[in-house]
Amino acid sequence: MTTEELTKENEELRAEIAVKSDLISISAHQLRTSLSAMKWILKMFLDGDFGALTGEQISFITKAYESDERMIRLVNEMLSVNHSEDSIQSIHPEPTDIVKLIDEVFFDFTGESFKKGIELIFLKPTSPLKNIILDPEKIRVVIQNLIENAIKYSNKGGRVFVNIADKEQTIQISVRDTGIGIEDENKDKIFGKFYRTDSAKKQDVVGSGLGLYTIKRIVENHHGKIWFESSFGEGTTFFVDLPKNA
Amino acid sequence: MSKKILIVEDDSFLQGLASTKLEKEGFTVLAASSGDEAIKLLSTNTPDFILLDLVLPGADGFTVLKSLRENAATSKTPVIVFSNLSEDKDIKQAKDLGATDYMVKSNFTLDELSDKIKEILK
Repeated sequence: MTTEELTKENEELRAEIAVKSDLISISAHQLRTSLSAMKWILKMFLDGDFGALTGEQISFITKAYESDERMIRLVNEMLSVNHSEDSIQSIHPEPTDIVKLIDEVFFDFTGESFKKGIELIFLKPTSPLKNIILDPEKIRVVIQNLIENAIKYSNKGGRVFVNIADKEQTIQISVRDTGIGIEDENKDKIFGKFYRTDSAKKQDVVGSGLGLYTIKRIVENHHGKIWFESSFGEGTTFFVDLPKNA
Repeated sequence: MSKKILIVEDDSFLQGLASTKLEKEGFTVLAASSGDEAIKLLSTNTPDFILLDLVLPGADGFTVLKSLRENAATSKTPVIVFSNLSEDKDIKQAKDLGATDYMVKSNFTLDELSDKIKEILK
């Protein structure tokens, strides 16, 4: 193919992606309209706005409300992936203190980990790290997601370790848990869009299968690498390698 | 005296639910189903608070917001944009045009909305 033909094809593909992305935004808007109506009306029932309910009615309406909430969360996640696909080229890198960033994420999860009885441990580097150039908001999403998963797929009494290693060319962040682990046969599929392992589904009913897909895209946009090691039933460690000079 | 709220919402079911809830909470509710109807209502009414959808038939929410901010009677009236759009560009545009706050409908219940309105009107 000539350069001209390639350019033309590229433009056509971009236009097609833009149409699909708009279609997702519009569908999400429509879905949310119905989901809002259900959310509002079920909550009004639960609040007794339409009169007192029996215990059985409350129990069933609560289930319907929770199910609606799950759908809302799925739509929100779908939109955030759509946005991140949109902004694939639009990383906003700036010099970032990665230790501080992880500290902030840790703080957000203290309540959650306490509630589940899981210990969160941040093994900070012994000598100070230089700032590295990355998009702090996007990398925050990556770390949030990994810690969230580590907590979600661990049982009470479990521990989650976050470690930063200063390598020659890269900063390596790892998140290790003592959770359910990932079966060997699923190891290739884990970063796939909408993919969830059977044990993940058993452990936690809510989840879109978009988290790891999204963060892999983010890491790759930073010219980094993400991979994991896992023993089924014993735990998993995710590694993220980010180049110091991205 | 009860505070007057204008709800601009084209979905009649959502409009009905929001009106019912806010009336129960002690507000007086005015409603418009299109941007043009909202602009017309605002020429003869001065609500204490405006709840504004963005995707509307005729003039959209952004146009309504711009018009009411240019009108002396409503230039300072609190406006919550209440929409199921959530792209950064929509939120930014609403804030730039002078929205007091931006809430995604499906992320809030009506009692949370009512609490928010009361807090702003305090």
